[in-house]
Amino acid sequence: MITSKLHPRQISILLRGEPDFLRAWIAGWQGARLTLCVGVILAGAGLYGAAMGSWRSPEQALYVALKLPLILLLTALGNGLLNAMLAPLLGLNLTWRQSLLAILTSFTLAAVILAAFSPLAAFLVWNAPSMTSDLRQSGLTYSFIQLTHVACIALAGIAANLRLAQLLRQASPSPVLARRVLVAWLAGNLFLGSQLSWMLRPFIGSPSLPVEFLRASPLKGNFYESVLHALLHLLQLN
Amino acid sequence: MNNMHSTSPPVPPFAGVPRGVPLFAPLGESPDEREPILGPVAAVEAILRQPRRLMYQLRQPGPGGLIARMLAVVVFCSVLYGAVVGSFSMGTQLWAAPVKIAGGLLLSGLICLPSLYIFTCLSGSKARLAEICGLVAGLLLLMTLLLVGFAPVAWLFSQSTESTTWMGALHLLFWFISTCFGLRFLDQGFSHSQPRSNAGLNTWIVIFVLVVVQMTTALRPLVGTSPTFLPKEKKFFMAYWGECLKSNEWQPGQPGAAQP
Repeated sequence: MITSKLHPRQISILLRGEPDFLRAWIAGWQGARLTLCVGVILAGAGLYGAAMGSWRSPEQALYVALKLPLILLLTALGNGLLNAMLAPLLGLNLTWRQSLLAILTSFTLAAVILAAFSPLAAFLVWNAPSMTSDLRQSGLTYSFIQLTHVACIALAGIAANLRLAQLLRQASPSPVLARRVLVAWLAGNLFLGSQLSWMLRPFIGSPSLPVEFLRASPLKGNFYESVLHALLHLLQLN
Repeated sequence: MNNMHSTSPPVPPFAGVPRGVPLFAPLGESPDEREPILGPVAAVEAILRQPRRLMYQLRQPGPGGLIARMLAVVVFCSVLYGAVVGSFSMGTQLWAAPVKIAGGLLLSGLICLPSLYIFTCLSGSKARLAEICGLVAGLLLLMTLLLVGFAPVAWLFSQSTESTTWMGALHLLFWFISTCFGLRFLDQGFSHSQPRSNAGLNTWIVIFVLVVVQMTTALRPLVGTSPTFLPKEKKFFMAYWGECLKSNEWQPGQPGAAQP
């Protein structure tokens, strides 16, 4: 199974985290692996994005199907140089291509998990009360959907990062070193990724605002403020 | 070695495990397990009496035919139980309830199948997608077989009460018990695929139960009548159940309540 050819079953082997396969996967750079990763990210995250945006409108579904894969790819590329420098500085001798492949692989696994959750997300949207002129009622539904999507994306992210940790352990002489690099990469990716998410909003689409590809003020506010507000709104503390 | 002085009774074999085969022996140890399952009746017999045989056959190349037979029985049993559910209200519910129950169960399995495959992969299981499909088909098969077993009881109660809320709760109870057995089959099948952890499967079980329960609300009414086949208003199941419980029709002394 460890071949240079593209094969979908390589993704399930990566999901299982088989040590021999992980070691070989990270060892060499191959264009085919990059193509597989990018293709799966576009398809998987695109499917979940479509489910995510479909509550608001079909137009929103299309926009999010384009934006969600973009966030994953832009985070990997935006932090590519930083991650490639952090690894050797922290003691793990990975090349730029290897560190990019490792990050892309973890995003690929997250995209596969999100794709598997997309029927569940679509089912949730199908059952959620439709958006109405009653903004209070729609606001509650919007908050519930928003928190459910945060939970799904968090689950996919945690699972993908556990595999990334295994990948780094295979490439590293010590587990402590692998954990250090993982934490450093995670901190950087979360920081950039959350801000990219904020700039590329909306995803679900607030009921009180029109459907747009990007908001007029993409640099205003941040991701963590929005999650806290949704939680407080759902608990009717706000 | 026999102990001539032993006073403890012989331990009966675990259900579905042939005598002499250790409980967690690899599948296919016994010659009985290696016998192919050729028809829908054989599939029903296997899942009730020889679940290991069914699990083994699902691992063999080309399990598509076996899975198709299992799903055919699922549809048949769902329609049968749906007819009993619909007999409470009669009229259009006699065909609407079977269609909704059969369709809803299959749709729920389909919605949850991709996430089950992902969770099994993440847990390190070596099960193939075909085997996972077969285990889900087995879950639905055992669930619907047990529902058919409950059907006479459900029919009796449906003829002796006018409360849709009460009947809905009773059907949910039967469904819950049937699902427990079905999930036990799934868990046993999953354990034979060498997972490192059951956390993923346990998470999926919660998701599956939530999806099926929500599906009953999405396809309402199953018990009771409605001018339309599907509801016009979308609700989450908790909100719908709350409304049903607040309605007066099931409380003693109210219209529709039985007199002592």
